[in-house]
Amino acid sequence: MAHGGAPGSRDVNRDVVRAIGRLRADGVLSAGQADLFDRVARRGLVSVRFEIRALLYAGVLLVTSGVGVLVAQHHQEIGPVAVATGLLLAAAICLLWVARRGAPFSWGEVPSPSVAFDYVLLLGLLLLAAALAYGEVQFTVLGPRWAHHLLIVAAAYLLAAYRWDSRTALGLALTTLAAWRGLSISLVPAATLGPGVAADLRASAIALGALYAGAAALSARLGRKAHFEEVFANAGLVLLLGGLLSGVLEDYRAWTLWLGALLVVAGGVMAVAFRLGRSLYFAAGLVAAYVALVRVLFEPFRYGRHADSIPLLLAALLGAAVLGVIFWAHRRMRDR
Amino acid sequence: MRREAIAWERAAEVNAAARGWRRAGAIDDATHRRIREAFPDPCVTPGAVWRVLTGAMVAAIVLCTLAAMALSVWRSATQLQVVLLVWGAACLVATEALEASPRSARRGAAGATSVLGVGLFLLGSGLTLVETVGLRDDDAIDVLLVAAVLTCGLAAWRWGGPLFAGLAAGALLCGLARLPQGRLLWLLAGAALTGAAAGRLDDGRLAPSHRLGAAVLTVLGIGAVYAAANVYSLDEGVLEHLARLAPSRESLPRGARLAAGAATALLPPAVLAWGLGSRRTFLLDTGIVLLALSVLTLRHYVQVAPLWVVLTLSGALLVILALAVERALRRARAGEFAGYTAEPLFSDERRQQALQVLPVVAAFAPEARAPGPDPGFAGEGGRFGGGGAQEKF
Repeated sequence: MAHGGAPGSRDVNRDVVRAIGRLRADGVLSAGQADLFDRVARRGLVSVRFEIRALLYAGVLLVTSGVGVLVAQHHQEIGPVAVATGLLLAAAICLLWVARRGAPFSWGEVPSPSVAFDYVLLLGLLLLAAALAYGEVQFTVLGPRWAHHLLIVAAAYLLAAYRWDSRTALGLALTTLAAWRGLSISLVPAATLGPGVAADLRASAIALGALYAGAAALSARLGRKAHFEEVFANAGLVLLLGGLLSGVLEDYRAWTLWLGALLVVAGGVMAVAFRLGRSLYFAAGLVAAYVALVRVLFEPFRYGRHADSIPLLLAALLGAAVLGVIFWAHRRMRDR
Repeated sequence: MRREAIAWERAAEVNAAARGWRRAGAIDDATHRRIREAFPDPCVTPGAVWRVLTGAMVAAIVLCTLAAMALSVWRSATQLQVVLLVWGAACLVATEALEASPRSARRGAAGATSVLGVGLFLLGSGLTLVETVGLRDDDAIDVLLVAAVLTCGLAAWRWGGPLFAGLAAGALLCGLARLPQGRLLWLLAGAALTGAAAGRLDDGRLAPSHRLGAAVLTVLGIGAVYAAANVYSLDEGVLEHLARLAPSRESLPRGARLAAGAATALLPPAVLAWGLGSRRTFLLDTGIVLLALSVLTLRHYVQVAPLWVVLTLSGALLVILALAVERALRRARAGEFAGYTAEPLFSDERRQQALQVLPVVAAFAPEARAPGPDPGFAGEGGRFGGGGAQEKF
């Protein structure tokens, strides 16, 4: 049989190649199925979809960085009107392309018409956001409430996310909305939920987290873009549990109240996650509860002879108990 | 690796492939079930979230008990070294026990204990060398690097972790950089590593995780050759800074800069050509990264255009290139050209799309506005965000 394997190579994924041969001989796989699988296992057919995505992502990153540098270094020479018009025009070209290629609106999941679609949409939205930010800085349309332009940008992202079924745009909408409230939920946070967090920021985090979690529940329950649930819920849990945890760790006067609230919420999150079979939500609730309980363990030993070693041992014991919970939940949960 | 562990890995490979076939709709549930029955994988293999959670919790337990013990018995440096070495050894023994059972081998705990075991052993050894044996810092670093090569190499051989293979190669390269002629040694070692590892990529006698380790070593070998040959690295003496002795700039052979320039230009296309010819995507990815580094090197020496032009044009070129490749592959006969396709084949497209949200949000999310009361419009000091740009006006 001609396998059409990779040039100059012997068998490639030998384990799979051998298995395919056996499955074909045993009649588990048809000849057509076995030929295709065998070709892929021998690298006779290779997908470069990931590489195309990576190039598009890097391209969008470079273009937006270039535009940012251009505007920052030359905006006085070019003139504010020309810069804003240029940015808007570029955004419009991208979004028009997306509008022409995009599938009709649906409350269900809509597959992208091409690999490039998501990235051109992303580029258009980022350029639009840049234009709005630049316009606000130069023309002070919102005056002293200039930070509200983030709200407008978030709304634009949200609209685009629903219209063109983009999880990426939704993720940007949620982080931009959080940024408007002074919160960072990116992977490299600007210490907004760390030590010294202000009470109003904590309240914003909890409120926004609850809002996102509610949106996740509604998306799933009403079947309106139900696949957005994960994006809503993950962002919501980071904010909600992070806000409550900052109360436990930072608010020295009322930390016990925060602890109670956190344990109730984390328990609720874990129970819902368990019922729905969502391992990531379960992990978020469990980790938040563990960190809060470690705080409790250290509290009685703040001063004294064994101030350090006993709470550490207790934290290890607590960890062992948590490990037991993990094994128990994994055995019984649907999402394994 | 244990014979049984290799057999479990082979069964897992077949099962993973079958999941991909099922996901793509190429087989039905009944066929999938028959494949699982034909190649039973006895290991309990939780999803990534469970494995990370388990590993993190095991690490927390080990580190908390270690810290408690160290604080209780810490009366001299020797006691701390003993505690570290004992804990490291205990973790290694635990790894061995966990790896032996299909119920625990792939739960994440073995991964955590192996990393902690090797790390604590090396930390304890380092402290012993400096504080008890009384070696000078430089000598201790050399001995420790040798120990790291051996320990990580053994761990990679015994448990099959590609991470350990990478760490062993990294320690080896760091050790070579400390010797005289470190750059030359990097070139030789990188080439040797690439040659040796690339030859084992498809070796069916190796366990799947050892083959993955060979891929990691191939990439590191190529990276070492490129780092040693890159003209910017040569000019700045990047590798020489790692040497034991202060670098001597006069000893640069004549023609070395020219050769480095040529290598900077030629290595990335050579790796890309290798990747294209052998249809190995990880080589293609390595070639793309090296090409980007060479373009950055070129930009450092030849500033033909302002930064914004270079960024915007290169970004636009990348987008156009990606679109052209995708279009060409989509329009080709049966959606493939020379063995390449833009179709996802049997990979988890939905999962990839969900995961791509993370880097996009991390890179493009706007900075949070300053906490506290609304500071009002800051005029020229305002910040330009949301477009991926973070420049101040």
